[in-house]
Amino acid sequence: MNPMTEPAEIDPVRSGAGRADEGRAADLSTAPAEPTITVDQSAEKIFDCSGVNVLYNGKMAVEDVAIPLLKGDITALIGPSGCGKSTFLRCLNRMNDLIPGAEVQGSIVYHGQDLYAKAVDPVEVRKRIGMVFQKPNPFPKSIYDNIAFGPRLRGVKKADMDEVVESALQRAALWDDVKDRLKDNAFGMSGGQQQRLCIARALATSPDVLLMDEPCSALDPISTGKIEDLMTELKDHVSIVIVTHNMQQAARVSDKTAFFIVDLSAGENKRIGKLVEFAPTEQIFSNPADVRTEQYVTGKFG
Amino acid sequence: MGAERPRQHFVDQLAELESRTMGGIDLVVMQIDRVLEALTHQDVELAALVIADDDRLDGRYLEVHQGVLSLLALQAPVAGDLRVVAALLHVIKHMERMGDQCVNICKLIPLLGHEPPVQGPIMERIVSMAKSAREETVLCRRAFEERDVGLAQDLVRQDREINRLNREIFHLAIELGTDADVREWAMTMVMVSRALERIGDNAVDIGEQTAFVVTGLFREFSDSSHPSD
Amino acid sequence: MSTPAKMAGKAMQQTTVIPRRDPADARKERGFAFLMYAALAITFVSLAALLVQIGLDGAGSVSTNLITNFPSKINVESSGVKSALYGTVYLMLLTAVFVIPVGIGTAIYLEEYADRKQWWNRLIEVNIQNLASVPSVVYGLLGLAFIVRGPLSLGRTLLAGAITLGLLVLPVVIIVAREAIRAVPPSIRDGSLALGATKWQTIWKQVLPGSIAGIATGVILALSRAIGETAPLIVIGAAVSPRFLPDGINSEFTALPIQIFAFSKDNDPRFLELASATIIVLMVLLLAMNSVAIYLRNRFEQKW
Repeated sequence: MNPMTEPAEIDPVRSGAGRADEGRAADLSTAPAEPTITVDQSAEKIFDCSGVNVLYNGKMAVEDVAIPLLKGDITALIGPSGCGKSTFLRCLNRMNDLIPGAEVQGSIVYHGQDLYAKAVDPVEVRKRIGMVFQKPNPFPKSIYDNIAFGPRLRGVKKADMDEVVESALQRAALWDDVKDRLKDNAFGMSGGQQQRLCIARALATSPDVLLMDEPCSALDPISTGKIEDLMTELKDHVSIVIVTHNMQQAARVSDKTAFFIVDLSAGENKRIGKLVEFAPTEQIFSNPADVRTEQYVTGKFG
Repeated sequence: MGAERPRQHFVDQLAELESRTMGGIDLVVMQIDRVLEALTHQDVELAALVIADDDRLDGRYLEVHQGVLSLLALQAPVAGDLRVVAALLHVIKHMERMGDQCVNICKLIPLLGHEPPVQGPIMERIVSMAKSAREETVLCRRAFEERDVGLAQDLVRQDREINRLNREIFHLAIELGTDADVREWAMTMVMVSRALERIGDNAVDIGEQTAFVVTGLFREFSDSSHPSD
Repeated sequence: MSTPAKMAGKAMQQTTVIPRRDPADARKERGFAFLMYAALAITFVSLAALLVQIGLDGAGSVSTNLITNFPSKINVESSGVKSALYGTVYLMLLTAVFVIPVGIGTAIYLEEYADRKQWWNRLIEVNIQNLASVPSVVYGLLGLAFIVRGPLSLGRTLLAGAITLGLLVLPVVIIVAREAIRAVPPSIRDGSLALGATKWQTIWKQVLPGSIAGIATGVILALSRAIGETAPLIVIGAAVSPRFLPDGINSEFTALPIQIFAFSKDNDPRFLELASATIIVLMVLLLAMNSVAIYLRNRFEQKW
């Protein structure tokens, strides 16, 4: 942060820099109704989302998300439980299509194409956008077959497969660990290795985006650190969108952070996820524009 | 028991640190009062007391410094909390410097001798400066505690007054050419004046920290390399 | 407990940090263990008694002739169960061919595709549970009416027998296959789908391979139930003591349970011995099948 800039008109109430002993609940009446987006919109976007709503059986779960996810960034999605960050993440590779009763409205533009256009095949979408889940989920097959699964679906020939597998494992910083035991069952690996295997598996199809849903929450701190380092290495080739509960992780790893909340204004049983603020990570954690973001990152609510 | 707010322990710790820092500024105010008293009555014993009591200020500095480090290491404060913590580090430094200036003044008082040749115009201004410095210190404390940016910015205006008096004392001292004792006294008063002016500057700096905590931006209210007056 | 002992116990409780177990609890533990072993003993002893009885009755008549000769009503010494043995084996193979695709297919439909909120799917589920407990003779009647005669009119053939038995054990296969498929965690499906596999590719490449051990075990266990079913085969008209081997799926046939039944109805006590011997043959087959099932399960079981 450049400390010597001319001060913009920062509203002290909005920025919420209160006294240490005032843990006042986020004052929604003074908070802005529109999400605050302080990200350079002219940069190249990997996903351009506007008006994204997600409904489950007709009930609104996530409302009106408009967010530009930029190429080459690691974007973190943070927010309290139930704020829709995982739901929104799953929109990006049409995984929500698989949930009966789920409906996605709005537009998500990926490489100039609306992902949800009628002509678009969700299976093809998922071949180009990788996903890593919260609990490592390797297939009960050999390490080799795990990695080869995606490429085989895409028709990669047997002769080329060895190279594809090695390349994916190299990129996931796992090659040295497993190069002598590719035929071993993946279940024999430790949790951290299994998750890196899942990352390698997702990378094997050379996606340009990797979606990660709390990838480290089931792992020990050392494995978590390795995966965070991996993410930073991958950034050059793969844009990453990560949902995380761990704010320190978001602070350590991401370039941009999007903060979601649960909006209860329609009633206690009408919990709707909404985007509040999207800004460079440094800003979110040093001087967020919205008082609700301030309250959340300092742990005063949520 | 009952509904504890989230991170209550951390909130309490931060509030305690801030309270100790403000208490340090209160100690400075007390020291300034004593300095004024010692100057007007040439009270050498009071001056010695001020010097001895500076240990309390130094102790307070170390205490808050350690508390800040501990909070940073263990609680990982971010956003507004982080700004408060960073600001407290600056504020205690300024507080400690203010205390040192009081000590500097009090070291000079014994050197003035029993019956110093007090020159009215200069002494008036010294007293005025000391009162202003005290006033600024009280106000900068209030500004920080209440997060009042307006009050903090107003300190600049007050500080101009001290700066003006400082320059006047300097010019007056130059005029006093004749007696060696008088000259010596006048030179000493110039140094006292300088110390008081530094106290005022430190109070303004505390005001800048207030603005930083509230706005997240650090802007020098009055930069000595870009004099506005 | 007597008073001095109680006092001593209390004193001990006061001085030690971790008190001794409450004697009442200890008694309950012992009582429960006793009941458990008693139940085990009853089961074990009953089974052992049965086997020993059969063994004693039939061991004398077990010989290679038993397996290589055809049954004879006249000549006890040269009577064998060759036709029944072949018949049973063919019957089992044919039943398996029928039951495996149908059973697995139904299980996949119910687990992966069926929307449980639709009434017809719930109806199917309830029906399968019911069908598993219908008496086997009813299946025999079903077979007679619709398969041997009626619409299919296959006659009293191996094929008819296999379909009938297949229908009998189908509910069991479906239930077991569903369990095995359900045991595959959703995270595996998610992982596969997220890599761009279609639903069918996920089922074929991940779900089925992951559940195959459970399904195979279930199929074999279902067949070991079928192998001993007598009533339906009698009803649909399996041949009794034939002196020929089945020569194709459209041939008349017999099976070991039928043969046992036939032997045991004869007045000549030597045929009773033959019946026991045949039971031994049947049990050996059963043992072999179950051993295969256990081997498959241990070797390929997927621990999630």
